[in-house]
Amino acid sequence: MSLRRFRLFRRFGLPERLIAVLLLVFVIDVVCNTVLFERANTFELRRDDAQRIAENLVLARRAIEHSAVGERQAVTTALSTAKFSLKLSDQNKRYRGSLSLANLRAQVIEMEPELAHSDLELHLESIPREGNIGGSLRLADGGVLDFRTHARSAWKLSIGRFASLVLPTVLLISLAWLLLRAALNPLRSLVRATRHFDAGPPRPVPEHGPDEMRELIRAMNEMQERIHQSMLDRTHTMLAIGHDLKTPLSRIRLRLDDGEVDPIVRDGINHDIDEMRMLLDSIQAYVDTGGTQIPAERIDLAIMAETLVDTAADRGADASYSGLSSLVIMARPVSIRRALSNLIENALHYGGNVRVGLRKDGGAAEITVEDDGPGIPEERITDALQPFVRLDTARARDTAGMGLGLPIVRKAVRLEGGTLDLRNRPEGGLRATIRLPLAAQ
Amino acid sequence: MSNTTAPIYRHLDDGPMPTPTILLVEDDGPLRTLTARALRQTGFNVLTAATGAEMWVTLREGPVSLVVLDIMLPGTSGFDLFRRLRRECDIPVIFISARGSEEDRVLGLELGADDYLAKPFSTRELAARVSAVLRRGGNNPTSADFTGSDAVADGRTPESIHFEGWNLSMARRELRSPTGAMVDLTGAEFDLLATFLAYPQRVLGRERLIELSRSRLGDSSDRSVDVLVSRLRRKLQAEGAESPIVTVRGVGYMFKAEVTRA
Repeated sequence: MSLRRFRLFRRFGLPERLIAVLLLVFVIDVVCNTVLFERANTFELRRDDAQRIAENLVLARRAIEHSAVGERQAVTTALSTAKFSLKLSDQNKRYRGSLSLANLRAQVIEMEPELAHSDLELHLESIPREGNIGGSLRLADGGVLDFRTHARSAWKLSIGRFASLVLPTVLLISLAWLLLRAALNPLRSLVRATRHFDAGPPRPVPEHGPDEMRELIRAMNEMQERIHQSMLDRTHTMLAIGHDLKTPLSRIRLRLDDGEVDPIVRDGINHDIDEMRMLLDSIQAYVDTGGTQIPAERIDLAIMAETLVDTAADRGADASYSGLSSLVIMARPVSIRRALSNLIENALHYGGNVRVGLRKDGGAAEITVEDDGPGIPEERITDALQPFVRLDTARARDTAGMGLGLPIVRKAVRLEGGTLDLRNRPEGGLRATIRLPLAAQ
Repeated sequence: MSNTTAPIYRHLDDGPMPTPTILLVEDDGPLRTLTARALRQTGFNVLTAATGAEMWVTLREGPVSLVVLDIMLPGTSGFDLFRRLRRECDIPVIFISARGSEEDRVLGLELGADDYLAKPFSTRELAARVSAVLRRGGNNPTSADFTGSDAVADGRTPESIHFEGWNLSMARRELRSPTGAMVDLTGAEFDLLATFLAYPQRVLGRERLIELSRSRLGDSSDRSVDVLVSRLRRKLQAEGAESPIVTVRGVGYMFKAEVTRA
């Protein structure tokens, strides 16, 4: 039952919720004021306090009424004390407080019945300055005597009055804040999801919040799905093209082996075929790297890096390894090996040499791949991580590849929850740093 | 037509069998012709099939030493075909795939394929792989034929080899440490280790090592054997234990740990 009501509330849109909050605040305001009014009305002072007020008023009235008209002001001032201040004022400007204290008035009149004929009025001071209880009475000649006094037990009432003024405001502010937060929370999670949205499988954002927000989230989820689908289509198309091209490539290669082809021509064409195969393979690698079907397993990262360096060095490349001789992490071996290999090949290609280092840094394995080449222009480092971007387009196309080398690295590293950082070294050359979480032992 | 379960494969006649017969299963006509021609030029007998069904028919018609199987065939996947083939016999299989995917390679080798070749391949590559698999199948080409699994089991490479908690998987060409971590080896290091494991507790000279490690060490000098051994040693030491490979001064090396094959 309550759940259903809750759901009903959830279905409300923003304007409805705002109105609901305003209504609630209004009701609370009315209730507060009613309660306060009632309490003020039935308010009674302790007997001695009421006695004091009654006696002071009777005495002051008698003294003022018996003095000459010209001296009344002076007499009033003389009678006024710190605890019971008196003031004469114009009859036309008689002030009546908003919270009249009917019971207290009755109490006072019961003690000094002669005050009943002087139109006594008692109220709670809204701002307790000279006293928290104020009042006035009419003198026999029509003048008005204002007075203010402190009553010990009236402070509760004063606080109540203060609260009744402040509470609805505070409530309005906090409810409005909660409402806005509740309304904006889904928006925030949507923003977060959008920021993390990438080529991976779509991660639908749970629909919650007001109707408008739900609609937005639903539209967003559908968009995610559409984008994912179109990326899948693109991927499949790329793979299909790659796959279908390989059969004719195989035919060309086998035809070349016929023996009637000029060896120079054959070598040239074979070289071209190899380059095409590399392009197709890098697409395949890029697509494959996203696949999380392959489970992570324990791999010795140090030996993996060292083996890649050794292989390059055996080929005659200027490659060296320094660092740990063994470090076991949990990762997908194929993609991490490919990532390291891509970085090493990049360094060798652009820098002519490569230094690979591995160390343990806190809870992470940190691999650095450095070269002494020209590095990457600072403003193009982000571009270098985008798929199908080739940094050397301006130069001769001497590089095989489709600009997928670094994107593959980044994809592979992200898959393991790691980070890739590319930086130009102050001494010159590029340094790629991969950080991968260590295996939980 | 291929669903017969009865033992239908003919036994090979005993006696010398100079030319191994290769069955090539490839759906692309021109490529099939070209590949067949390439294999014939290398000196093999070649039968061809365009589909899985044709493959079964051909297998029933005569003895075959090895199947070269395209993974992507119309109608049925080469993997399924391969599984069915393995259920019935132990004939060596080399997969050919247009997908360069690592997953395909691993899956193929894990299923028990003898090798995996990515398109586009050259005549030389194909011939080398076919020869290597046939050689691995033993000197007697009939051993790799449909003569029953018993005859085949001996000549074939074992699935995996264990020593001191380490595990070398021959099919996946993978070394795992006692803690189960994958330890990368270069091709030459793998072959060298496999050689050591084939002759445990025996002193092997450098020349003998080069000879036994087959083609991959073919152009290696003595010095590079030393380099390979020292790398291998370092990797086997990574777990902190003493290396199982010891130097025998003036003679060569010896693998001293106990080796079990599974």
